[in-house]
Amino acid sequence: MTRIAITGAGVVCGLGRTVEEVWQALCGGRSALAPIRHWDATGWPRALAAEVAEADATALLADRRARKLMRRSHAFGVVAGLAAVEAAGWRAARDAAADAEVFNDRTALYVATGGGNYRDAYDFLPLLARSGGALPAFGSELLHAVPPMWLLQTLPNNALCHLGIQTGFSGPHACLVTHSSGGVLAIGEAVAALRAGEVDRAVAVAHEAPIEPQQLQGYATLGLLAEHAVRPFDARRDGCVLGEGGVALALEPLEAARGRGASMLGEVLGSGAAGEACGVFDVRPDGDGLVRAIGAALSDAGCAPRDVALIVAHGNGTRASDASEAAALRQVFGAACPPVTAFKWALGHLLAAAAPLETLLALQALHGGVAPGIATLERRDPACGDLPVSRDPRPLRGDTALILSRGFAGTDAALLVRTGTA
Amino acid sequence: MAEPIWITGLGLVTPLGVGVAPTWQALLAGASGIRPIGRFDASGFAVRIGAEVPLGDATDAVAPRLRKFAGRQHGFATHAAAEALRDAGVAPTDTTAPRWGCALGCGQVTLDYDELVATAAAAAPQGELQPARLAAPCDPIAFARQQSIAPLALLATQFGLRGPLRAVHTACASGGQAIGSGLKMLRRGEVDFVLAGGTDAMLTPIGLAGFCLLGALSADNDDPARASRPFDRTRNGFVLGEGAGMMVLERADTARARGAPPYAELAGEGNALSSYRITDPHPDGRGPIQAMRRALADAGESPAAVDYINAHGTSTPMNDRSECAAIHALFGAAVDRLLVSSTKGQIGHLIAAAGAVEAAFCALALRDAVAPPNANLHHPDPACALPFVGAAPQRRALRVALSNSFGFGGANSSLVLRAAGAVA
Repeated sequence: MTRIAITGAGVVCGLGRTVEEVWQALCGGRSALAPIRHWDATGWPRALAAEVAEADATALLADRRARKLMRRSHAFGVVAGLAAVEAAGWRAARDAAADAEVFNDRTALYVATGGGNYRDAYDFLPLLARSGGALPAFGSELLHAVPPMWLLQTLPNNALCHLGIQTGFSGPHACLVTHSSGGVLAIGEAVAALRAGEVDRAVAVAHEAPIEPQQLQGYATLGLLAEHAVRPFDARRDGCVLGEGGVALALEPLEAARGRGASMLGEVLGSGAAGEACGVFDVRPDGDGLVRAIGAALSDAGCAPRDVALIVAHGNGTRASDASEAAALRQVFGAACPPVTAFKWALGHLLAAAAPLETLLALQALHGGVAPGIATLERRDPACGDLPVSRDPRPLRGDTALILSRGFAGTDAALLVRTGTA
Repeated sequence: MAEPIWITGLGLVTPLGVGVAPTWQALLAGASGIRPIGRFDASGFAVRIGAEVPLGDATDAVAPRLRKFAGRQHGFATHAAAEALRDAGVAPTDTTAPRWGCALGCGQVTLDYDELVATAAAAAPQGELQPARLAAPCDPIAFARQQSIAPLALLATQFGLRGPLRAVHTACASGGQAIGSGLKMLRRGEVDFVLAGGTDAMLTPIGLAGFCLLGALSADNDDPARASRPFDRTRNGFVLGEGAGMMVLERADTARARGAPPYAELAGEGNALSSYRITDPHPDGRGPIQAMRRALADAGESPAAVDYINAHGTSTPMNDRSECAAIHALFGAAVDRLLVSSTKGQIGHLIAAAGAVEAAFCALALRDAVAPPNANLHHPDPACALPFVGAAPQRRALRVALSNSFGFGGANSSLVLRAAGAVA
């Protein structure tokens, strides 16, 4: 089977703009979690987030004309996607290619994002203040009150289309709005298309900007948000913290990457997904969906549990998700569970972009032979059994990591990556 | 040779009816699903017509325990999914559930008008949001409903689908892409059954506002039944519709083993980005050309083998011209043996559901050997010269059908369906 290499990465998140920068911060015990700065959260009982510093994320876009056509989340996706393409050297490769059109047609774009966004609808608020809830007035004054391009500025697949326009890439694509598990699904789509020979290279992108009042209000109402810190698997954990940003991976067949002398960050071995069918927000206590997603990923990768040297847990710090995740890991790995770590204490939860970012960090950990500790872990929750988590860094032996991802709708996904590209 | 993937169940909720049979009958009879908007007061809008689904409360098919989480588009999806599963005569059981996947194209979920009015009253009396006013808890049920993944969550929960689940959104191409995604899940062996399709309910004040702002809609308010006229030289925009289309997909060997007859084979999928402009289709049809070419190659067919195209045909001046250019570029002389129609003349544009509903029409066309009509095409645009079906359906043995769906921003999807039992 065709082996798939990661030959470029792009990152924008609260901890930094490159994988190395984020990795150094994480290893230094630094977290991006801070009181919200981009809007006034005074009086909010849960007011932490992992924000990207720029108040206007579209200012990160080099193409000034594109700024007005995109919203915050899209800008993160486009910035990360372009960075991955640049790192992989694909623009130069295209310009040197015998047929640039064939190159573009055989380059795929797979994007994941959370979709629906509250902020987008706020463009109607001034009109509503004027129309006072009267529909006829809302309809008749519409054209004077809301930007004509509103719908196209807010399309969930905007990052996908703008990345296409900015790179010229025109191959197969998808835009997955499968909440947090979409990031792994996007990488899985890329791997499947590359293995099948449908495309020669693919960018997998994920982007989110969920730190907005009504989103935070909803998460807080559900009891999903932490007050002071994200403490994965800790007895005192009280929830998660939302993060924002964009992450992208440039993927191509390992042989092709080797042939053109590209530097490789690692290899994607396989992925798997499963659903729990238990409503919008609930998870099953036994971690059934995760167990089957891990099983599918191992089988897709041709790996056994003993091949896994490091597990990067979803570890979002909520009571139910962490406990069921521990149950799933116990069922798959039994007493021989490799070191487990989690990164959301430092990154926050970037929803669809979380697992792709954590994948890049897992590769850093494997390269360095060290599993970073969970800096906020004080006392492991007995309900999480003897899960091998630690506050301190631990040495790693092996080259393969398992990354876990869980989203609303009981959607679970798992991804296996390896450093050794020999 | 890989096992063919069959469509063994269909479910439709469209402006022409609730269910496959009433919709298909009305479509072939040339009926129009486009009327003055009745579900809300559209009197102030420049456009006051739409293609509404004739269901007051769309959520009646949702299981009682889940109903409070269901909005209109979730309700459509549930109706169509229940019909498709019933029609296929198979449903997930405790043992088979992990081998059932779902691929759903769903609409852009945002606050609906009433919720936005409530938000404005509570937190933005002067038109600017004051976050401090939102610091108290909200209604968790409403928050669930507002998640873009909610339709997928409700389908999976109600019908017990526990394999890989995916929701996709590429605007008007969503439904086609979801079905293509389901095809790939089956071919890769990830699942034995897929419930795939699309659902949307943008015929709301906010949805209508979005398209009115773009100037994309026909404002022929006085002649609703004639307002959507794809490929006609007098066309002046599309008509916004709503609805859902779902299908059950499975391998031919599985279907044969349980004695389930197919509507058609889902033979290929292809998609491509135009990578041109966010607002406009490429005038030469770039993007659609590659999508159709990929779908045909995926199905092992040449353009000369295609009998029927269900065009994206939105009835906007630019889309229809660009699509015709694409068809001419790809089919060349083989254009002459085609039959082309756009069913949007009768059902309007169902946005994220359009590709799924129209793929279902292709399956029915192959089964019944009939190409649906172009009900409103009276003065073909010389710039859109194609062998169009007339105002009446055309009966002819059909082996291969192509369903096109092209989204805003340049995301294009094509599906190829083949008469069941026909050889590639």
